Amino acid sequence: MQITAALPVAKMVGANRLVLGNGIVHVVGDAKVSAEDEKKLRRKLVEQALAAMQK
Amino acid sequence: MRIVHYLNQFFGGLGGEEHAGTALETRVGAVGPGKVLEQYFGGECQVMTTLICGDNYAVENQDAVIDLALEQIRVAKADLFVAGPCFLAGRYGMAAGALCVAVQNKLHIPAITAMAAENPGADLNREFMYIVDSGDNGAKMREVLARMAALAQKLMRGESIGSPGVEGYLSRGLIRDQFVERSAGQRLVDMVLKKFKGEAFESEMSPTQFASVPLPPAIDLASAKVMLVTDGGLVPKGNPDKIQGSAATRWGVYSIKDCQDLKGADYEISHGGYDPQFVRQDPDRLVPLDVMRDLEREGVIGHLHEEFISTSGLSNPLSNTRRMGREMAVRAKELGIDAIILTST
Amino acid sequence: MQLTLAYHPVNSIGFGERLSLAGTALTVSQEELRAIVLEEALIEAVDFVIAAPNDSLRAGPVFDIVEPRAKAPGASPDWPGILGPPQTAGSGMTHVLTGAAVTMLREDSSGDSRGATGYILEMSGAPAAGSHYSTLQHLIVVPHTRSNIPAAARQRAYRLAQLKIAVRLAQAAFAIAPARTEVFDNSDAETRAGLPRLAYIGQIFSRQRKPEADEHILYGADTDGMLPTLLHPNEWLDGALVPSYHASIGGAESYFYQNHPVILELYRRHQAGEINFIGAVATIASANNFDRERNTRFAANLAKWALRADAAVLTKFGGGVPHTDLSETARLLETMGVKTAVQVTDAARDHKVESALLFNFPEVDAIVCIGGNDTHWKLPQVERVIAANSGLAELLAGPIEIESHNVIGVANQQGASRLRSVVY
Repeated sequence: MQITAALPVAKMVGANRLVLGNGIVHVVGDAKVSAEDEKKLRRKLVEQALAAMQK
Repeated sequence: MRIVHYLNQFFGGLGGEEHAGTALETRVGAVGPGKVLEQYFGGECQVMTTLICGDNYAVENQDAVIDLALEQIRVAKADLFVAGPCFLAGRYGMAAGALCVAVQNKLHIPAITAMAAENPGADLNREFMYIVDSGDNGAKMREVLARMAALAQKLMRGESIGSPGVEGYLSRGLIRDQFVERSAGQRLVDMVLKKFKGEAFESEMSPTQFASVPLPPAIDLASAKVMLVTDGGLVPKGNPDKIQGSAATRWGVYSIKDCQDLKGADYEISHGGYDPQFVRQDPDRLVPLDVMRDLEREGVIGHLHEEFISTSGLSNPLSNTRRMGREMAVRAKELGIDAIILTST
Repeated sequence: MQLTLAYHPVNSIGFGERLSLAGTALTVSQEELRAIVLEEALIEAVDFVIAAPNDSLRAGPVFDIVEPRAKAPGASPDWPGILGPPQTAGSGMTHVLTGAAVTMLREDSSGDSRGATGYILEMSGAPAAGSHYSTLQHLIVVPHTRSNIPAAARQRAYRLAQLKIAVRLAQAAFAIAPARTEVFDNSDAETRAGLPRLAYIGQIFSRQRKPEADEHILYGADTDGMLPTLLHPNEWLDGALVPSYHASIGGAESYFYQNHPVILELYRRHQAGEINFIGAVATIASANNFDRERNTRFAANLAKWALRADAAVLTKFGGGVPHTDLSETARLLETMGVKTAVQVTDAARDHKVESALLFNFPEVDAIVCIGGNDTHWKLPQVERVIAANSGLAELLAGPIEIESHNVIGVANQQGASRLRSVVY
């Protein structure tokens, strides 16, 4: 399954499982928050991705 | 006639990728390519306002940017909205296309942009508007602006627009009828003879390709073997497989055995389409290895495969990516992978 | 098999005491024609109306349009299998009143996919510009059949009456020297060794519907159980075929079997020494996958092995399902090394290319698409509306919105259409 910030393209070409990433330059990161918060965010996105694969 | 022109951070003169996060700004009059554009209207049109926005900001805040732009266009009492040309810049093309379509729908004035056929903004928007085919060579800027002006003038005058080949726009994938001189019977014989002789012929219709991807069944995570794949161009320092940053034809497989955390010093980015600094600082921001290790340790997933796959998705035509995707899938199946997380910029 | 067409141009039709052709003026006797029509027991009364190009006139629903033609004595028979025994058509001399047409109307709208108006004949204005029929002098036949008879019987009566009239009119030309003659003969294949061998494969019926009881289609047979068959081009041109009664055929008239656009173009190239027009196959669109596999192989095999075609041109009869038979036949031919070009209608009600075709075979890439979903007109009121009853006349009087699919001569799958789809 795909984590991306550019959903329309992914949908158009037929990706079935999609999670909206956190921006283009750090799709599973965030440069604006502390390292600890960033890792939490990353974990959350990955967990969403994993959950999607259980459906 | 009054024009509002949209440019990204680079063509708007703000700078390079490091300014891709800039919010929408307004300038009075024409900027950069807008000045050339005005010339091609032969003095009939003037750029009243130029809107400049960072490519990342535009994609990440599309709705807000559209609303702001529409307001500026209303205020400027524009007769025409022009965006780009965008060439191969994908985020730029997506934003330009979305803006043009919104302008057409909400303000009912003509809108035009230009980009290469492979730009993702093209496939998303070509059906709804005229997108001039700019090709991928930025050096042709003047030529592209001239064609944009010519087509825009026709749109403003309500003149009928000819075929994609003649007018220089990307085929919209739409059909209209036309009465022609030759009967269908004559056209059939003409066409089959050309085909028989191996001569070029123009078919009046062609089938379209997007096959739908069947949904693979759900998996049991706790026993699953998971692999990470990225098209963000993350490669080991030195780019041993020489994966191209744009229109990549190759993909690489890189070991993360016993690795808990990706270190910036060990990697580089071969991808021209985004500001790499954040991923360079911490590659886990693109390939989430650290989190996957945690999840593996906690038993949420069965096993993280000891390699990740990487290539660059920048400006990559379907002919490449379809093939690479298939090859990657074959590899994954051979390794007994149950699930893949693909992270894309 | 050699067919000679003797052309007698007609520029006007008028009523008079007896049938005659003087120069280009055709005079017809209503009394004589009425007697012919009333030979059909189910027809109680009939009216005749003359229409000329540019007349402010609309007629419909149209049952069929037939060019007045009569076989010279000693030639093959007129409309074999319908007006007489099913002997082979296509040889000897046929007298043709070019520029004229016998147009039979229906008494009810056909419903089904041609809706309330059925096919309309429009003699002036924008739709007329797209139809060959607006350039002809028409003798319009308005039938009044007994009520409460089966549709099949009613339509059979229309057919017989119309064909007899068409023959009778052309008999006026028997003793008259034609303006010119044209010979149709493709038996010189051995002299054309280096030229491409071209074949035509045309659907003449679609099993989307069963034929009506006693319906004529091929030499008077209704094609039920028919397998694809070789049918010489001259047979197509000279009375072996009439279209089905069913209106949802996407445009097919006897007139364009007689003046078959594909066959005439292939003959023209043959006569010009460019190709070897090696023959034709008549086929039907199938009702199910099993039949389709069988029929498409039969058709392809005939073209490849019996005709030894290098290339083939294919048309269909009917709607979407025939699309599939058409493309599958073409695909098979391509795998056998025969180059094909196919004619389709535009299936895209949403005007999108991705919806236009019901097949996706890379080798079937030479496609003539006659569009139709993008063309419609608002027809004004006209001075004369010709219809079999007042209800229909009121419906057709106008103003009325009409699609190109409903204008006879604009919608046509025999190759006459000058409409094409343009992708933009």
